[in-house]
Amino acid sequence: MKRILNLTVTASLVIAFGVIAKAQSGGNVLIKNATVMTAAKGTLENTDILVTNGKIAKIGKNIAAPANAKVIDATGKYVSPGIIDAHSHSMLDAINEGSLAVTSMVRTRDVIDPKDVAIYRALAGGVTSALLLHGSANPIGGQSTTVKFKWGRPADEFPIEGAPPGIKFALGENVKRSNFTPQAGQTPRYPRTRMGTMEVLRDAFRRAKDYKQSLDDFKAGKTKVPPRRDLELEPLVEVLEGKRLVHCHGYRSDEHLNLMLLADEFGFRIATLQHALEAYKIAPEVAKRGTGASIFADSWSYKLEAYDSIPYNGYILWKNGVLVSINSDSDERMRRLNLDAAKMEKYGGVPEEEALKMITLNPAKQLGIDKRTGSIEQGKDGDILIWNVHPFSPYSHVEMTLIEGDVYFDRAKDIANREVLAKEREALEKLDMNKAPGNGGTPPRIPAERRIADRDEADRGDNR
Amino acid sequence: MKLKLFLYAFAAMSLFGALANGQSLAITNARIVTVSGSVIEKGTVVVRDGLILTIGADAKTPADAQVIDATGLTVYPGFIDALSSAGLQARTTTPAPGGQGGGQQAAQQAAAQAAPSNSNYGFGIRPEVSAVDDLRGGDTQFDAIRNAGFTSAVTVGRTGIFNGRSAIINLAGDSVSAMLIKEPYAEHISFTTVAGYPGSLLGTFSALRQMLLDARRLEDWQKAYAANPKGMKRPDDDKSLEALIPLLNREMPVVFNANTENEIVRALDLAKEFNLKAIIAGGQEAGKVAERLKSQNVPVLLSLNFPKRTAAANPEADPENLSTLRFRAEVPKTAARLSQAGVKFAFQSGGLTAMNDFFVNAGKSVENGLTKDAAIRAMTLSSAEILDVSDRLGSIETGKIANLTIVKNDVFATDRFVPYTVVDGKLFEQKEPVRAPVGGRGPGGQRGGGANPGAAAPAAAMPAVANVAGTYNITIDVPGQVVSGTLVLTQQGDVINGTMTTQLGVTQIRNGRAFPDGFAFAAAVEFGGATIDIAVKATVTGNILNGTIDSPQGAVPITGTKLP
Repeated sequence: MKRILNLTVTASLVIAFGVIAKAQSGGNVLIKNATVMTAAKGTLENTDILVTNGKIAKIGKNIAAPANAKVIDATGKYVSPGIIDAHSHSMLDAINEGSLAVTSMVRTRDVIDPKDVAIYRALAGGVTSALLLHGSANPIGGQSTTVKFKWGRPADEFPIEGAPPGIKFALGENVKRSNFTPQAGQTPRYPRTRMGTMEVLRDAFRRAKDYKQSLDDFKAGKTKVPPRRDLELEPLVEVLEGKRLVHCHGYRSDEHLNLMLLADEFGFRIATLQHALEAYKIAPEVAKRGTGASIFADSWSYKLEAYDSIPYNGYILWKNGVLVSINSDSDERMRRLNLDAAKMEKYGGVPEEEALKMITLNPAKQLGIDKRTGSIEQGKDGDILIWNVHPFSPYSHVEMTLIEGDVYFDRAKDIANREVLAKEREALEKLDMNKAPGNGGTPPRIPAERRIADRDEADRGDNR
Repeated sequence: MKLKLFLYAFAAMSLFGALANGQSLAITNARIVTVSGSVIEKGTVVVRDGLILTIGADAKTPADAQVIDATGLTVYPGFIDALSSAGLQARTTTPAPGGQGGGQQAAQQAAAQAAPSNSNYGFGIRPEVSAVDDLRGGDTQFDAIRNAGFTSAVTVGRTGIFNGRSAIINLAGDSVSAMLIKEPYAEHISFTTVAGYPGSLLGTFSALRQMLLDARRLEDWQKAYAANPKGMKRPDDDKSLEALIPLLNREMPVVFNANTENEIVRALDLAKEFNLKAIIAGGQEAGKVAERLKSQNVPVLLSLNFPKRTAAANPEADPENLSTLRFRAEVPKTAARLSQAGVKFAFQSGGLTAMNDFFVNAGKSVENGLTKDAAIRAMTLSSAEILDVSDRLGSIETGKIANLTIVKNDVFATDRFVPYTVVDGKLFEQKEPVRAPVGGRGPGGQRGGGANPGAAAPAAAMPAVANVAGTYNITIDVPGQVVSGTLVLTQQGDVINGTMTTQLGVTQIRNGRAFPDGFAFAAAVEFGGATIDIAVKATVTGNILNGTIDSPQGAVPITGTKLP
């Protein structure tokens, strides 16, 4: 039984490359007669959406199908913008460079794995874009990558062109390594306290300012030898210049407030407070600075520094005018962010469209990609989901996920394909190279090797 | 099979070098695969002073030449292993690939074992490390590789991000200087981690990038300083960074160890960013990026160490990923794909320990669509071209280094044997082992207990062994359960075969040996859906059998009686 179950699960989660390899950027599609939740201009009944060359060309009733457009009848179905996850570690072959307190030189872009099956699973849950963040092992982590989940396409087609670059900062328990015992022979890494964390941040920006000065001095002819190009400080100079977005992991609001004060001191804006489970305590301060909050829908008190978080956090932040998004930080949670959005309606009563925005338009704004995606509006990318029922229903599932008008997930095809995959597996398992050795051999993996990207538990002292 | 391998190894020890420099050698009546030109069905290759003198159907044999009658044999250019660690002491183990937990620990261990250095950079990020420093002179160290048919190899260590600078060597020579063909050849890079920073794959790329940028700056600075030092701060004389300058100037190739599509793409991206003369080594998934390799003009040193499932069967384990199953099935097709796409490639051993697998797997590449000629080329002239030594090696042409491999039977067949190799004009001979008789497996294998004349050599070396052949009723005392059954043994000299039948099923025995007082064998039994390896050792006194069965679950006693 277990075996049969496994087969089905595996088959349903892995798609034959052939199916998607045909998808080309910029599809032409006409979605007919849907209930369209635009996440911008309300919900439209019996509405058609025409996507031309990947862009939403027209939204209205009874749109005639152009010759080259694939027509999808969505009668009785719901359509929403593609979900955007503002905190993900999917498709990364490494998550933390935890060896140093400041690792702004590392780039998640260098280690993206376009074949990570988590991408396909996320598509099945309606996620079309995500912010791929460095982990939270150090005060200043690596550079982030903003991607669309173009499953089946090569790595260089994932990053969203023109998306502002970002960087991960982190505060609190993970940074000071409270929950991680150093291995034998390992020296604990500085900082070990919250005050040490602030010192590291301030020191890094002082060094960045000095670096900027040395570049300017050389340009002005004051020095002879060109300054060393410093990959660590370069991105911090970009932060100072407002060209790079700071996404800062943290739970306690005193820390997040401290960080915003430091940013004030150096004259830049924090783009998002990540997690921010008790940011309701500082909602006006957050709103005043135009800083966003990217939160979990729940996970109240799941660790000590999350102790003061409450279900109404999202509602209070929203009520105070903070731009709120709901993220997953997990390959698994990522697949049902729609239900996390629904919780915002339940706790406090965020209106339906505002709750939907928290997983679509709001994260798009926080990532600076809202001109292209995040809502169903004319001129935006055709990043569209077709749901069987209202996406806030626990019975909902995604029937089709489109990115730029191309179908990247089709539930009907997936189901049909499971048998094909099972047969392929059967054939492959019979090949000599895939047969278990007749005797001896290494012990099998139990359970199968999976990267855990679940919350900050992934941010262990190891390198993942 | 095991016995056969053993015999091969035994025979390999009996090789001898026979030719002094200066004397000439003629290999006559041979089929000659020149690779550069057409095949000569029957001809002579004459070697003098370490170089190829003449080749042809009617080439004259010099009066003073030692003559090897190669009737029925084929002469190839000496095979080249395009990436190995030949001649390097296994001082350090390869750390786990980047990003794996435990990588840090392995990296720390490797660092602890490393030679001391005063570099500004930590262990594993010192590009100035050179393989040549770890080489030693002497022919015998290469016996196994040479007997497999190789005469030259690229050699470099495998630890750290910078594996260091490789050397192209001939696989014989009294001194290191005599072995070298080209040194340094290339800088070798692995996408792995080191102790400290970079401790993850993320950092690996950033560290490489920063070092390459620093090296470029150092070169500019040193040039400016050399031109006019007055009033300028003195640049560091940083040997680690200086070792990178030839890479940036495309004077030295950079070999990236990259097997998966992701790794290859990352290597190609980095090569593009810094305009490096890149070579991919490993390349198991290179077929998937063939077009990019072609357009960036990047050759591949293709590993013939094909992946194989090593995990034991276990009903508790999840089934393997479909992607893993596909990967293993696709790897043997890579060579043909590269060939079709016009990507230059050469075969390398990829860490194979049994070098015969090199040819077996080259043969699998042929089964999967590569032409035989292309496969031969990938271990001769194509390798020499990629390694930039095709003016010296890779084909049988007048004036080239006299490296030859003389093969009996088809080079890709399992009965392939290399009776002679010639390295730098020096002849090495290998006596063909006497093939052991195939033991009777299963029914009908009963051939009596008498000594087989074919197996005389090894059997004669052994003391008299007990006659253990026969049928035994056996009892295995598993805690809480007594297992009974039958053991049927056949014996030829000291080799025993047979079956063990219990309620767990019928099991063929393996590696069976008879001793003066008993016997031992290995077997695998299916139990609870899992395969359990057991080792049986027993004494036979009269008709009484007494011994133990060792398994991963512990040792249990076995007793039995021989039926009359």
